[in-house]
Amino acid sequence: METFLNMISAALIAIFAQNSIFERALGVNVLLYASRKKEHMFGFAAAITYTTTVASAIIWIFDSLLAQNESYRIIMPLLYILVTAVVYIGTLVLIWALFPKVFRSLKKYVHLSVFNCSVIGALFLNSQQGGDILAYIGYGLGTGIGFLMAAYLLYTAAGRLNSPLVPAAFRGYPGMLVYVGILSLAFYAFTGYTTSAL
Amino acid sequence: MENRINLGDGLFKQNMVFMSGLLTAPVIACTTTLQKSLAVCFVFSLVSLLTILVCRSIPRTIVYTVRVTLYTVAAAVFYIPVILLTEAVFDQSIISAAGIYLPILITNSLILSKTETRFYLEPAGLMTADVIIFIIGFDISCTATGVLRELMASGTIGGAEISVPFTIPAMETTFGGFLFVGIGAGLFRAVYNYRKAHAGEAEKDSLAEYAEDMGEFLVGRHNKPEKEKIRIYKATAKKARNVNELLDMEFLSNRDVLEAFEAIIAEGQEMTGKPGEPENAGSGEEPETPAAADDSPEEIDDDGNIS
Repeated sequence: METFLNMISAALIAIFAQNSIFERALGVNVLLYASRKKEHMFGFAAAITYTTTVASAIIWIFDSLLAQNESYRIIMPLLYILVTAVVYIGTLVLIWALFPKVFRSLKKYVHLSVFNCSVIGALFLNSQQGGDILAYIGYGLGTGIGFLMAAYLLYTAAGRLNSPLVPAAFRGYPGMLVYVGILSLAFYAFTGYTTSAL
Repeated sequence: MENRINLGDGLFKQNMVFMSGLLTAPVIACTTTLQKSLAVCFVFSLVSLLTILVCRSIPRTIVYTVRVTLYTVAAAVFYIPVILLTEAVFDQSIISAAGIYLPILITNSLILSKTETRFYLEPAGLMTADVIIFIIGFDISCTATGVLRELMASGTIGGAEISVPFTIPAMETTFGGFLFVGIGAGLFRAVYNYRKAHAGEAEKDSLAEYAEDMGEFLVGRHNKPEKEKIRIYKATAKKARNVNELLDMEFLSNRDVLEAFEAIIAEGQEMTGKPGEPENAGSGEEPETPAAADDSPEEIDDDGNIS
């Protein structure tokens, strides 16, 4: 029961207190693209959630075995990329074999949703966070859900942010960054501030 | 016909931070001081340059799905000597403060996307110069952001105290970074548009410029006649709802953009009118943007070649 609660706790931390977008700005360019269309939003979020969850479970094994090694921090990026690559190619091969139509629609942008700062960053944060395998899985799961939440919040505002009422220079990318910044300010509260500190 | 490449693109028109937003995470969340921004620039420059140069030799017969994996693996391999060198050059406290924002540079979009849509379509010498200019463009933006945020947040530059009337500590935070880069991007675009307008190019909006560039690029690539670029441009303009919708695709800058443009060639649509007059630009019609187009034809293979 305790380990399950740890998993839920890790997921909630990843969704709110350490949201990969609002707290870490990880994968912002992918977010801006994903939030343009509803199907892209869910597609990207599903791919990120799947990859971070599965890869997190695998890197837990390496972290458990090698964390004490002095040179581990140097080879960590290579190891994490290899794990992500194995998950990515393995999954694509499975989908290609079982659902060729799904594969054709996925292959256009799936690499964008797998090889990005959000996924790789989540693995590093997971490693910093530590814990048992369920905590790792929970954090990976929470990262994907957090991305979906951020993409949805941006999706709902995309029309207004691209409106002709917005000055031309700020329309699109600059306006979206300012909007995400304001949301980020709201999420900042989840990291735990007391009124006495203000 | 040679492809027209503007070597200044990486500095201004396609600046990775303020124009296309291809690489923003380290700039928003990490570059809060001059030292940290220099460390980010150092790692980014070396890893990106080495990876792009070496990965050019990867055969394009390998499907893109696998090739992109090889790019990231190569970047991760190069990261090892680069981070060791960084540790020799920078103080350990700076590297620790930069945290995960140094290793995540191995998945930057210059390596994963720009290679496919731009660099690997250029001759080797030109490509090297183009890559270096893109890297310099990022480095200048990143360093300027670090200097200004440090000054605003703590009234120092590189640790040296500067007399400022007030400080804004929030500039050290992520939301401060979002606001800074967002406002900076808006101002950068405003200045860019203003200068362009005063350089006698007022009649050509950003959409027209971008579409025309892409048209020329593909005309050269496919050995199409010169007039073809007008047709490509017109078709692109029809597919974009407004200027920003098309320009925003730049930050995505993946193979889909190229595919969408290639699809326009493949479709062989009949076009009328002349360039510089996007028919539906800004009209608010139902969008069907090039990069977001879900109707990328099956005839285009994994290398973006038309079969």
